[in-house]
Amino acid sequence: MAATEHPVAVEKPRSNPALTRDPVSTGALVLSAALALPGLLPAASAEPAPAGGMIGLRNLSYRESQPGLERVGSNSPSLVFLVPLAGEWALSGDLVTDNVSGASPRYHTAISGASQMKDRRNAADLQLKRYLEDGSVSVGLARSNENDYASTALSLQGTVDSKDRNTTLLWGLGGASDTINPVNLAVRNEQRHSIDAMLGVAQVLTPADLVQFSLGYNRGRGYFSDPYKIFDNRPRRLNQTALSAKWNHHFDAADGTSRFSYRYATNSDGVRSHTLGEEYVQAFGEGWSVTPALRYYSQSAARFYVDPIYDPLFGAPFPAGVAIFQHPLLTMDQRLSAFGALTLEAKLARQLSAQWSADLKLARYEQRSAWRWFGRGSPGLAPLTAHWLEIGLYRRW
Amino acid sequence: MKPVVRHGEANDAPFRFGFTVMGGPGEITLAATDSRSGLRLAELAVAEIRRIESKFSRYRPDSVVSQINARAGADWTDCDAETESLFAYADALYTASGGLFDISSGVLRRAWDFRAQRIPSQQALTALRALIGWQRMERRAGQVRLALAGMEIDFGGFGKEYAADRAGALLLEQGARHGLVNLGGDIRVLGPKPDGSPWSLGIRDPRDPAAVIAEIEIASGALATSGDYERYFEADGRRYCHILDPRSGMPVEHWRSVSVVAALAVVAGSHATIAMLKQEAGQAYLDDCGCAYLAYDKDGRCLRQSGAKVTATVPPCAFPSA
Repeated sequence: MAATEHPVAVEKPRSNPALTRDPVSTGALVLSAALALPGLLPAASAEPAPAGGMIGLRNLSYRESQPGLERVGSNSPSLVFLVPLAGEWALSGDLVTDNVSGASPRYHTAISGASQMKDRRNAADLQLKRYLEDGSVSVGLARSNENDYASTALSLQGTVDSKDRNTTLLWGLGGASDTINPVNLAVRNEQRHSIDAMLGVAQVLTPADLVQFSLGYNRGRGYFSDPYKIFDNRPRRLNQTALSAKWNHHFDAADGTSRFSYRYATNSDGVRSHTLGEEYVQAFGEGWSVTPALRYYSQSAARFYVDPIYDPLFGAPFPAGVAIFQHPLLTMDQRLSAFGALTLEAKLARQLSAQWSADLKLARYEQRSAWRWFGRGSPGLAPLTAHWLEIGLYRRW
Repeated sequence: MKPVVRHGEANDAPFRFGFTVMGGPGEITLAATDSRSGLRLAELAVAEIRRIESKFSRYRPDSVVSQINARAGADWTDCDAETESLFAYADALYTASGGLFDISSGVLRRAWDFRAQRIPSQQALTALRALIGWQRMERRAGQVRLALAGMEIDFGGFGKEYAADRAGALLLEQGARHGLVNLGGDIRVLGPKPDGSPWSLGIRDPRDPAAVIAEIEIASGALATSGDYERYFEADGRRYCHILDPRSGMPVEHWRSVSVVAALAVVAGSHATIAMLKQEAGQAYLDDCGCAYLAYDKDGRCLRQSGAKVTATVPPCAFPSA
């Protein structure tokens, strides 16, 4: 029976202008009012201390090639783990051993005379994190050892959450020290030291949107040249500034999450780069999820990069018009040329049971001079492609 | 028609913790946890629910609600930020419902005795209606006051849902990812079962307390139901339920029950109750509220918004650690 049929006369609603609002907006009104209630959403940015631990095994197979040449290939098994300690601490780590083999190009992308290399790298990355009421602090130690290269890095990072936990301040400080002892004895006991600092902020905009901005600065001093590349001579200082922005959006209807990112970096070698990335995580039933990702990268050349135009008299690798024996700043490293690159990636993950999960990642990277975003790419370079496959198996407890 | 959780044939039996709160049954279900940490988490969540109950219950003389009611027509009562935010939410519901959802309409209980099954007199209702009016609640920074002696407010319209959401958020902050908080049928889902599949929540038949009339699958978000069957009596072939129209003082009659799926239990519960109060206009309201719903009208006809945002979610959108 309708309300108007009640024996009681119905009073007209009082003429409160707020009551005559468009009914279409009531859903949004109730939702936004509910979101203003305290403590209904978990702190999207406040990480809880992990309740259980995890151990996993991963293997990364990497293969890099150019037309007519299989370049570097590597196989890297690694052990990852996370151990909660005393409720508010967590120790996590990544132990990896690489076996690298293949041709390392001598200059530009020339094939002739490329030396065969075989190398083994052992690396350990440990992090101890303390979870606080309004944030976290962690210290990290990373060691990496190859027969010609040793690196040690220390880091200190933290997060500070706002009271409503919708805003998180991120900060980081780090330092690294590397020693270079190439097998060709081009240099002996060369050193490279760097320090870096980062400041960022993450903000929950809506229950479905999270944005993060950060600014990073890295100051390096020492030997940055490639001892295996003839005539390679780079400045002994390398300072870099990077700005990054990320936006995560959750699609309720599809139960999928999009992660968009952009990064701009500029350094004292004159390399300016842009990185645009988008990945989309889609969950399916029975514990399956698929994550396709696309990343575009573009950079300008270092100001001392020389194109593969060789001296008419001496030929390669002597660059034309460069007084080579006066040791000018110079590089022919393709990585410092102007180019664009695309990475296509797909990850398939499956939660096998409450304890076990597995994932598989396939990726293809291609770098071409012509793909540079702003301006022309460096001429005369062969495209470079890389493929990698990563499989992982994890157990939680 | 309280939704009941059906656990299906999951291999890893979830940890379940039952308790009584706010005059009804409550249950916390957690999967992918051992019973020791499950118990620790459940106790944390129940402590939070009991905190809310004792702070806001109108049955407790020391609660802030009882203090405000006791001083109606007289003194101001101090209230903290949490209490103020609940009043701000009540204000939004009053506006969204066109004045039907009014937390000061509880005075009608003085006339409606569902145990004695007595239909109140016109005069009694008219007298009580004079004491209803959210706009007679005076608010200033840190203090509130009811303008007329005899007025009273209560958070019965969304307190249980608020507690379910708070407990759910607390469990998520503690790292729980698979489970749900069920307070008398108002359910906040933390996240799917460990294998990623949704929880299947049964909707009870409003005319047969033993039967399940529908099932809704939810991986995260919330489900709440408002119905005419929790407290009611029948007289002369008419059903008088406990959801009362503040303008007439009479029970609503158009819907047997309304279930709403939303990101938060407070939102789901508020939409369900407003739809009940709006009676015939409830369907248009539900269609506009942006949530999935399942409703049974007074003749037992089923209405649903099948655009199937049935998996409303609070997103797992934290950035992955680099």
